[in-house]
Amino acid sequence: MSESSRDAQAAQLAGLLGQCALRNQRAFSELYALTAPKLFGVALRILRRQDWAEEVLQECYMSVWNHAGDYAVGKSAPLTWMTSIVRNRCLDWLRRPQQEATGDEYEIAVDAWRDEKPGPVEQLMAAGDAAALARCLELLEGRQRQSIMLAFFHGMSHSQVAGHMKEPLGTVKTWVRRGLERLKGCLQGAENS
Amino acid sequence: MKYDDPQLRDKLAAEYVLGTLQGAARARFQSLMRYDVGLRSLVADWEGKLTPLARAGADVAPPARVWHALAQRLTGERRKPRWWESLALWRGLAATGAAFALVLAIVTGFAPEAEPPMSMVAVMNDTQGQPAMTVSWPSMQAMRERPHIRIKVTQEHPVMAPGTAWELWMLPRPGGNPVSLGLITTDVDQMMPLKPELAARIHSAWGIAMSVEPEGGSPTGKPTGPVVMKGLCVKL
Repeated sequence: MSESSRDAQAAQLAGLLGQCALRNQRAFSELYALTAPKLFGVALRILRRQDWAEEVLQECYMSVWNHAGDYAVGKSAPLTWMTSIVRNRCLDWLRRPQQEATGDEYEIAVDAWRDEKPGPVEQLMAAGDAAALARCLELLEGRQRQSIMLAFFHGMSHSQVAGHMKEPLGTVKTWVRRGLERLKGCLQGAENS
Repeated sequence: MKYDDPQLRDKLAAEYVLGTLQGAARARFQSLMRYDVGLRSLVADWEGKLTPLARAGADVAPPARVWHALAQRLTGERRKPRWWESLALWRGLAATGAAFALVLAIVTGFAPEAEPPMSMVAVMNDTQGQPAMTVSWPSMQAMRERPHIRIKVTQEHPVMAPGTAWELWMLPRPGGNPVSLGLITTDVDQMMPLKPELAARIHSAWGIAMSVEPEGGSPTGKPTGPVVMKGLCVKL
């Protein structure tokens, strides 16, 4: 997607959110049609269970409908705002007592991030959605990237990441922290250049 | 734990967004964020950095039942019976007497002299019950010469979103079906020509409402979008 069509999409979504704040149900259904596949994908990857993802998605859209008026155009892109709602709801969902997912699904996830150049990073590049972020991720050490990806993409805790990478907890915490620091430095460098 | 160390704050914000801040620490961070603007902007900053990553995977269309469930919840929110059939709604409006008098003064006081005096007015309140717009029209006799209504927007209102229109409706009687008067603009002060047959009916109108509709107006002839303003007609 080119930069200008991304801007156009952001403007369109912001307009629809504005209408949702005015209780325009038609705008809401349009907003849903445009964003639900993206957000459902996000929820599925974190929760790894169709029924949970459906339930969380429904709650998130009710929350968007009820709080559309809180969306501040200048502060974040509409899709970022909505994605954050979904991610936070998923993380809260996963941290409910008795809701820790079993290990089987994780194994698949770990394998997916094991390669030196994981597929989704290439997708990120191809989508042009966040070329700078993808470039910076590629500059991280493999294990830093893997632990960040596991935590972010699949909602894993430090100890879950450690368990599945078969590394000590302290080591994983350090990878995550250093990885985030390097990512920030790299992204700031990209902004300033 | 100290929360005033800038490096620690940034690290906590990053791990909150990443999702590795958990349990009691996550809950504490969330409650701190509520009163700490700086912390919120650190979080927003990290969300801007990391969130595109969440969408790197494939899109997955949710099953249709998710939308059906949502649509049902939205419909459940709507008042039953439908808004224009609810007497209590209109009774509630009549109670805002003071605000009404104020707006009335604006309508009558600033009407240009060349225009015939207004004989009826509807003070339209927004969904918070605040007067937002007035719709008024002159006597039946004056209307025969030039059928029109005058609309004054008395409150700062949201900008009309692209692809939508504001449609004005006349409610002939309690519980009756709304009749479209036409589409209005966002101008503060405007005049809308009326079809002669509508001009004849508006003198017995009971209420006026405005709904948000798709471009070109409601496709069904009845309000399809939310009603954002409404008011009772009163003789002057």
